[in-house]
Amino acid sequence: MTIIVAILQAVLLVTLAPLFSGITRKIRAKMHSRKGTSIMQDYYDLAKLWRRCEVKEGGSGIISRLTPPIFLGSFILVAAGLPLVMQACPVPFLGDIITVLYLMALPRFMFALGSIDSAGSYTAIGGVRELLVGVLVEPSLILVLFVAAIAAGSTNLGIMANAVGTLQAYPFVAIVVAGVACAMACYIEMGKLPFDLAEAEQEIQEGPLAAYSGPSLAMIKLGVSVKQLVVASLFVAIFLPFGAATTAAPLDLLVGLVSFLFKLLIVMLIASVIENSVMRARYKYLGRYTWFVVGIASLSLVFLVIGI
Amino acid sequence: MSTKKQTTLRVGETHVQAVRDTFPGVVLDATWQAEDQVTITIPVDMLPDVVEFLYYGRGGWLPNMVANDERPLRGCYVLYYLLSMEESDPGFVVVRAEVDPNTMEYPSVTPRVPACVWSEREAFDMFGLRAVGLPDERRLVLPDDWLEDLYPLRKDSMDYRRRPAPVTDVEDYTFLYEGNAEETTQVPMGPLHITSDEPGHFRLFVEGEDIIDADYRLFYVHRGMEKVAESRLSYDAVTFLADRICGICGNAHSVAYAEAVENAQGIEVPLRGQYIRSILLEVERLHSHLLNLGLVCHYCGFDTGFQHFFRVREKTMDLAVLLTGARKTYGLNLIGGVRRDILDEQKLATIKYVRELRNEVEALVDMLVSTANFESRTAGIGRLDPAVARDYSPVGPAVRGSGIARDVRFDHPFDGYKFLVGMSARSHDGCDVQSRTLVRVEEFMDSLDMIEQLLDGAPEGPIQTENWQYTPHKYALGYTEAPRGEDMHWAMVGDNQKCYRWRAKAATYSNWPILRYMLRGNTVADAAIIVGSMDPCYSCTDRVTVVDVNKKSSTVLTKDQLEGYCRRRTHSPLAGKGW
Repeated sequence: MTIIVAILQAVLLVTLAPLFSGITRKIRAKMHSRKGTSIMQDYYDLAKLWRRCEVKEGGSGIISRLTPPIFLGSFILVAAGLPLVMQACPVPFLGDIITVLYLMALPRFMFALGSIDSAGSYTAIGGVRELLVGVLVEPSLILVLFVAAIAAGSTNLGIMANAVGTLQAYPFVAIVVAGVACAMACYIEMGKLPFDLAEAEQEIQEGPLAAYSGPSLAMIKLGVSVKQLVVASLFVAIFLPFGAATTAAPLDLLVGLVSFLFKLLIVMLIASVIENSVMRARYKYLGRYTWFVVGIASLSLVFLVIGI
Repeated sequence: MSTKKQTTLRVGETHVQAVRDTFPGVVLDATWQAEDQVTITIPVDMLPDVVEFLYYGRGGWLPNMVANDERPLRGCYVLYYLLSMEESDPGFVVVRAEVDPNTMEYPSVTPRVPACVWSEREAFDMFGLRAVGLPDERRLVLPDDWLEDLYPLRKDSMDYRRRPAPVTDVEDYTFLYEGNAEETTQVPMGPLHITSDEPGHFRLFVEGEDIIDADYRLFYVHRGMEKVAESRLSYDAVTFLADRICGICGNAHSVAYAEAVENAQGIEVPLRGQYIRSILLEVERLHSHLLNLGLVCHYCGFDTGFQHFFRVREKTMDLAVLLTGARKTYGLNLIGGVRRDILDEQKLATIKYVRELRNEVEALVDMLVSTANFESRTAGIGRLDPAVARDYSPVGPAVRGSGIARDVRFDHPFDGYKFLVGMSARSHDGCDVQSRTLVRVEEFMDSLDMIEQLLDGAPEGPIQTENWQYTPHKYALGYTEAPRGEDMHWAMVGDNQKCYRWRAKAATYSNWPILRYMLRGNTVADAAIIVGSMDPCYSCTDRVTVVDVNKKSSTVLTKDQLEGYCRRRTHSPLAGKGW
């Protein structure tokens, strides 16, 4: 039964990802005082790219061909395992934080590897930057999830969500502070401005994306949209599980689904407003922002240890 | 100094006297082309000494050097080093030297005054005149696949319609590396780069993301305008060609050319015409500066600011429509004045636009300055050392952001600028992208004030004069302060109602050589914003390729098609025809 939920929610996230990025684009246009494209535009773009023929760079190998499907696939797998509409993981072995973190590290690894597998000098710079973001952000994310796991007594995301949702997670302050740190880490992880370093159009001409075309580019683009939703969902699932179904009853699931989409929409709206009111961070100074996040994450650990 | 100065002394006389005193017997001749312009003729081997003396010793700056093929007139090539004297006795001193057509050589001034480097490279490309001792003898203007011994601007070299076949298929331009680090990666930026939208090939020598050195190749869109002007147009039609040098600041070029001819021929433009020219130049500055402020946002990854600056910029385009009938201030200049008057109701409407613009831009600039990361993206980035600036004579906001207040409008007031009160050149001394941006912001506000002052002060009267005597082979300088800095035109008319030689120096031509120094020590991430902070204009620099009138694939549009397209704005008649 729950395996169906898992498949359905993965399909749901993939089909909705272009819609969400379309909405983001619309908000951006409004903030630019432009009319903007239709919110369905990303579907059209993907469809068009899918029909185009693939152009491969001379000298590029199997790696750059494997990167797009692995990039997209990993995030779909993560999406299947997260406790989104239920306060429990539909597939327990996919819902462990260790699994989730590694599944999120895999596409980054492939992305960076793919960027070296290209003759372009900007793509390599983009790959290096992507790794830099990973190195700087992942520790805080791991720390925060560790705090939540201790507080809930399990590394399973479903049990963590349930503990937070029923307000049984202890200590309370530590969880709230961890939630704040997690929100910030997730925002950086989403790769939106001011942290879209790996694809910075004006600086390095979209970095590794420049090496892909046709269906590969479509997969990467879809992958990036899905990634943003998955990262936002990860935060929502653990720290805002309110409204998610506690049982597998159809009505509960429906309520869970509606509340999940609502929460996700709010998070994405806030993210896109932030995105359009800042300039891109200088990649040199990225460390300053992430130190701040590490600080808050450590604070939550302190609160956990002293038990408030 | 000023006490000794007699009223009868002409502008530039002190400089000529100083050259005479320092180098006895060197000045063979000194003639005044206009009130503030003197040309001294010296022997060619004295060029480096005299130019260096005037440049560093007398407070001169060097816009450029003009080479001219005067063999049909006096059997030799002639070089004109233009110097803008900006300390005491402001005016222009032109150092003229004749080059023997048999040796085709002259001593290079570049080792003494680096500002000459591009002009001397160009003189070789166009005329085959070799500067002995020039450290950098690569091609500047001509493409890599151009013939070895075809010098297009020589009077006897080629017809302007000739298209020589390429001699090579490879681009073999060598990029020079002057850094100290041994192992660097070369990052090509361009010829087509996503944020510059115009062709220019920058070669960045980097370590990781740090730029150690940079070199560049430009002139991909050389249009050969000077050749066309000499061979095809009559001298009074060149004002309209000069408009087309630039898509942004064409009017500044047109005015500069017109004034060059007017200065040479002694044509007096009526006062009202002078005022109108200044007003239109300032309108041009309004939209150009808003463009650059928008682009600064774009380069920083702040597209919201970019779009809003462009929204407001639309209002300055409307203002241009009101005053000129077109979104660009094109086609308004004639030799002897302007073509269109500013009527009373247009004056009132302009003042209304100016007020609205002032409020909206003030709000936008506040927003820009308070945006997160603006400071960290722009402060200390792309440093232009004032010492480098002194050596290379850059112009416009690029130099004014380094604490040097050079501005033709105030150094050599012309047209309506002579009558302005309470204004002075703006400068900031941060030497970085932020300073250059702030200079533009302040100049934008000043331009609004100037337009108001000029509108109020403009006297009634005619806007153009048609009575003048055409004297062949007279030459002079014309200059304007374009949004990007000084435009300097040198024109000599021939005995056939055409330009004998027209040399248009765009603002950006003076600024490219300093870019290398601005890029050093920054990161690849900042390269785009540094190039952008100079507000480069590629097509201006590349002013000179011939539009192939016999191109087989060209598409001719009828007037009806064009008018229909203007109304519908859809179904472009050019669609599907390779445009």
